[in-house]
Amino acid sequence: MAVLTKAPRSKDGSAAPPRARALGKGPTGRRRLVGLAFTAPVLAYLAIFQLFPVLYGFYLSFTSYSPLDRGAPRPVGVANYTALLHSADFLKSLRVTAQFVGEVLPFAVGIALGLALLANRRIPGIGLFRAGLFLPRIVPLTAVSLVWLWMYSPDGWFNDLAGSLGVDPRDWLLDEGTALHSVAVMRVWKALGGNMVLFLAGLQAIPATLYEAAKMDGAGRWAQFRHVTLPGLRPVMVYVITINIVYLSQSFAEIFILTGGGPLASTTTTNYLIYQEAFQNNRFGSASAMAFVLFAAIFAFAFVTMRGNGRK
Amino acid sequence: MTINRRGFLATAVGAGVLIAATACGTGGGEGGGSSEALTVWFPGNSAPEIELVTKKLVPEFETANGAKVQVTFVDWAQMSPKLNAGFAGNSAPDVFGHGPAAAAGFAAAQRIEPLDARIAALSADDKADLAPYLSGGQVGGKQYLIPLVGNGVLVAYRKDLLEKAGVAEPGTWTEAADAAKRLTVRDGGTVKQAGLMLQSAKIQRVQSFQGLLGSEGGTLLSADGKTATWNSAEGVKALEYFAGLYSGDGRVSDQLGLDFANQPAAQNPLATGKAAMVTATTGQVLQMVKAVPGLADKIGVLSPLKAADAKTFGGATTGLFVNADSAKKDLAWKFVEFMVSKGVNERYAETVGGLGVRASAAQGSYVTGQPLLKPFIDAAPAYVGSPNVPAWVQVRDVLDKHLEQALAGKVSAKKALDDAAAEAGPLLAAQ
Repeated sequence: MAVLTKAPRSKDGSAAPPRARALGKGPTGRRRLVGLAFTAPVLAYLAIFQLFPVLYGFYLSFTSYSPLDRGAPRPVGVANYTALLHSADFLKSLRVTAQFVGEVLPFAVGIALGLALLANRRIPGIGLFRAGLFLPRIVPLTAVSLVWLWMYSPDGWFNDLAGSLGVDPRDWLLDEGTALHSVAVMRVWKALGGNMVLFLAGLQAIPATLYEAAKMDGAGRWAQFRHVTLPGLRPVMVYVITINIVYLSQSFAEIFILTGGGPLASTTTTNYLIYQEAFQNNRFGSASAMAFVLFAAIFAFAFVTMRGNGRK
Repeated sequence: MTINRRGFLATAVGAGVLIAATACGTGGGEGGGSSEALTVWFPGNSAPEIELVTKKLVPEFETANGAKVQVTFVDWAQMSPKLNAGFAGNSAPDVFGHGPAAAAGFAAAQRIEPLDARIAALSADDKADLAPYLSGGQVGGKQYLIPLVGNGVLVAYRKDLLEKAGVAEPGTWTEAADAAKRLTVRDGGTVKQAGLMLQSAKIQRVQSFQGLLGSEGGTLLSADGKTATWNSAEGVKALEYFAGLYSGDGRVSDQLGLDFANQPAAQNPLATGKAAMVTATTGQVLQMVKAVPGLADKIGVLSPLKAADAKTFGGATTGLFVNADSAKKDLAWKFVEFMVSKGVNERYAETVGGLGVRASAAQGSYVTGQPLLKPFIDAAPAYVGSPNVPAWVQVRDVLDKHLEQALAGKVSAKKALDDAAAEAGPLLAAQ
């Protein structure tokens, strides 16, 4: 730790700002020391349980390692990453992940916005309506997936409904053509409540005076929505889209329970493939490399979303 | 408040250590247990099994041996990940249950204890009584796993549906396919009642294929376990038969990939009458007749169907391993010995709906009191299990992936098996 023997002075000759003082020297330095002491537990927690696992995972991605081996991970350079470029399973999983996000996101955002607009009205029983819509958000995804597994089963609710409409029953989760769409429908339903609440908060933060001014200018409902509501919701919209991209790209529990990645790997998302690679095949190095490629992809999409919306 | 530099460092280090210690205490406690207790992990989440083991068997063992046993039940799907983490963190249990498919991998990594010397010390009667299932726990001629319960897959059928259609019990796979065509009921393009359903969900399709392949006289791997041999003429014939049940105008079933084995027993297509014949394990048959009153008289179980030979998938399903790093190997072996002792093993098998691993179990009250078990006991010589090679789990997943392609009609049986052999080749060669 550097200790200054002489306090530097600024151009006008006044004392240097506190940051130049040595830690623990003088009243300001002591206050900073106390502050650091109080934040040390959190910093230690972040370093040990957040930062270290990420860094260790990154290190593992350049090694060959099975948890059953008694030896240390063996360095293999970038071999795990180059292998991914030629892995049909991995490339397919990226496509499946992208398709899944693409199918869920527009509906999870669009319908949630519509519901938020409805829930924002001051009408009797609106609290119950809001609570009902939010309910799926607070039920654990695993429990929800188990219920939907039954609903999609050959003797489940969807086929009962199809039968009552005179339509032949379908193997929703066993057919390559419908499995991913079926999971996506469930995921849209699950995401609506959380997204709706965020939009609702955003709607209620838009000043009523803006709507009054728009009305005075002759704006109809559509014009108000387009020129007041949407611009007012932009920060929330960016947040909702970004968070949804991050969550949906890491989908696992619903895939694990509903389809197990099948049929014909049509629902094997990258996160599910990572699980298989790490815990079925014991190839932690390769799984870590997949995880960091997925991380890079999610980061890129989230970054583009935030920058793209932020500039408008 | 004044804190000097030394005090600051002490506070920071202390806080870090405190957090680390607290976190370690939370995360490590799940499977580790106290140092005095023998730690045991059982796979599964069956309530009756948990009740029997934790409330009855373990207390009996503790009383008899003056020992403390800490049992944890781990969901089957989580067993391998938790064990891997346990081995990596040196907190794996002293004894753990797993399937034979995992034996070779653990043995290759020297994580499990060879038990030949312990077996050799058993009485001659005991050795002879346990002999039928012991081979399922051997890797490279060494005994690593002591089978706890066995199971087999046979074709179960609805007597009432066969009688209604005037169909006799089939004895061969060809007869079964012919019978299935007559038993299949269609409504337009939909199969309303399947004639024959083989288990075709993930991994289950590999087991179904193994049975068919064995019946055709083929094998999955070469004798040294280094080469895939499933793409033989026998393999192609077996897979074409399997795929033919689910494809084309003559298909006798739809719902390819349906995991009816893990559905509630009352929803099994055989129980609901949506299938006339299905492949089922001992446990599934027993659960069905328990779940649906009146079904016991309507269900029959066929002997292993014949093609060139009569084989079916079966053998030890769960066994116990002793951790090679255990500090309590003698006590661990005592626990294993207790679990496969005559009376205890029969109670355990009855509770989980499996087959006891002792030859004498055939004369026990559990088997003699349940006629549906007899075909499974009689079929024991026809059981073929998974190859005990270190790469089996990965090889199985590769084979599974390509079998699915053929079953879905995406590629021919020959191409699927050749592709699987090509992809599995490096995995097998690297063992």
